[in-house]
Amino acid sequence: MNVAKYLLKRFAVMVLTLYIIATATFFLLALTPGDALSQRVERLPDKVAERLYARYGLDRPVMERYWITMKGLLRGDFGESIIYEGETVQSIIREKGPVSARLGIQQMLLGVTLGLLLGILAAVGKGNVWDYLVVCISILLISVPNLIFALLLQQVFAGKLHWFPVIGWPAEGGWFSGWEYTVLPTLAGCFGYIASYARLLKAAMLDVMGQDYILTAESKGLSHKEVILHHVLRNSFIPIITRLPMSVAMCITGSFFVESVFSIPGLGLYYVNAVAAKDVTIVMGETVIIAAIYIFVIFLTDILYTVVDPRIRISGGKR
Amino acid sequence: MAEMTARRISLPANRRILTEEERRPVSTDRLNGEQIARRQTTYWREAWHRLRKNPIAMAALVLLVLLLFMILLGPALSGQDYVNINAKEKNRAPDAVHWFGTDTLGRDLFSRVCVGSRLSLLVALVCSGIQILIGCAYGGAMAYFGGRVDSVMMRILEILNSFPYLLVTLLIMMVLGSNITGLLVAMCVTSWVGTARQMRGQIMQLRESEYVKAANMMGASPVRVIVRHLLPNTISILILDLCSSIPDYIFTEASLSFLGMGLSGDVISLGVLISAGKTKMDFYPWQLLCPVAVLVIAVLAFNMLGDGLRDALDPRTR
Repeated sequence: MNVAKYLLKRFAVMVLTLYIIATATFFLLALTPGDALSQRVERLPDKVAERLYARYGLDRPVMERYWITMKGLLRGDFGESIIYEGETVQSIIREKGPVSARLGIQQMLLGVTLGLLLGILAAVGKGNVWDYLVVCISILLISVPNLIFALLLQQVFAGKLHWFPVIGWPAEGGWFSGWEYTVLPTLAGCFGYIASYARLLKAAMLDVMGQDYILTAESKGLSHKEVILHHVLRNSFIPIITRLPMSVAMCITGSFFVESVFSIPGLGLYYVNAVAAKDVTIVMGETVIIAAIYIFVIFLTDILYTVVDPRIRISGGKR
Repeated sequence: MAEMTARRISLPANRRILTEEERRPVSTDRLNGEQIARRQTTYWREAWHRLRKNPIAMAALVLLVLLLFMILLGPALSGQDYVNINAKEKNRAPDAVHWFGTDTLGRDLFSRVCVGSRLSLLVALVCSGIQILIGCAYGGAMAYFGGRVDSVMMRILEILNSFPYLLVTLLIMMVLGSNITGLLVAMCVTSWVGTARQMRGQIMQLRESEYVKAANMMGASPVRVIVRHLLPNTISILILDLCSSIPDYIFTEASLSFLGMGLSGDVISLGVLISAGKTKMDFYPWQLLCPVAVLVIAVLAFNMLGDGLRDALDPRTR
């Protein structure tokens, strides 16, 4: 009962948050000087221009437009793109979503796996060469923006060595086609995951290793390997599991740069272009959808905490 | 004193008849049992001592000082102007005159990188300052008022926290335009949330701690509690916050410029230089690599210093 109440309350807050974000976005966009149509209608006769403005509802007062937009959002209707005729937010997400998803999944699989391995290596060999190596690697990886990695990889492996194509993305067909296009973007994006997960797991493992039950396990005569595998690792995965959903959400916005360097037709690049062109409906729609995913992920993370970590219980709705 | 005597007796080489003074038992008042023999240190002196023993952090500190020196005095030392267009010296590779080469208009890249870094660093510092000011005020207010005010303010934080950072930044840049005011507002608008949460947590924890209660009980004035107990214990958190937020802001500025949403016009920042260098990457790689190297070194130094400070400022790691 308590849990149901808590979930309901959180859900209400989520909806409220989303509403505030949508409103804020709408008014920010309404405040923006200039609009996407002004360039398009420049050479057109006034009559046509008026019709165009009327078509996107841009001739109406702000409050009325706000009302229409909000009603549209409730029905899941975000409106039509102003720049690209006939495209809606849904069609764009259907088209660009899989591209971003594939890139993000590949980056995360590679980055998280490598990061966790390095983290284990560093924690098990605390104070030895491996530990220092991992610390150095992770500080270095954190300090270099993935944007720079993308540029350098492109320059060296595509520009100089011609091992991989410089830009582009497999056009059609399957999740495994055209892998040579995906190698460099995947690499460029995975370094951040490597560094953050290696640090996170190392810290968590060291924390667990200092606990009394590890001492107990060791004094029972378990081998070092067994203690690490069954007692330390299992308990230090709590922060990892609760971090994962956030990484998934972040990889949507995090791939802005990689997508823009390699000209990958994904959601990130499209969003940046839409912002640059002041394509109000698309910006509005994508912002709301990304924010919704983001909010849901935060919610999921909180739930996961209570599921994974039995020490945390939902009580009274306060975190 | 007692130790000295003992050693002298045990040393056979130094055998001699002890004087009356030396044979007398050491009187208790001369021992000064209550006095602290070790030179008294303050928290900050101790933290500095710990930091000095950390080679990585010290290397980072030296690197930062050198970098600052280069940024501030570099153009004067190399004697090159950063706006002077020289048609005869376009796209030069680095040499003795132009340490980082020249750009497509023949301007000295070293001076431009120095001037650009100044702006990037300044923007990062100002943003961090704003972040800490708002964060402290908000977090302090939450902890001070508590109760209903606290939970309402917390809800606001939660809502702000669920704005995707990059989207908000892009949107605000779009509204306010590609100028420095826009950049400052855009980068600061949600970044202080973390600081506010940390401050709230820290202050609430401190208020419940024994020594603050003891100070209150002994009749210490609120000012004294704040100055002697609350401030020193929050400053270390703020310093760490500063050390991690400065590189973040340098990053964000560069990334925004790279996406074409950052500063534009005649302003030079590291981001502007990097996005200009990107287009010439194939033919004149140093135009990209030099500003990138400065950015990476600066961020690296801040991160390493921050890591060292984290250990040094935490009294529990002694």
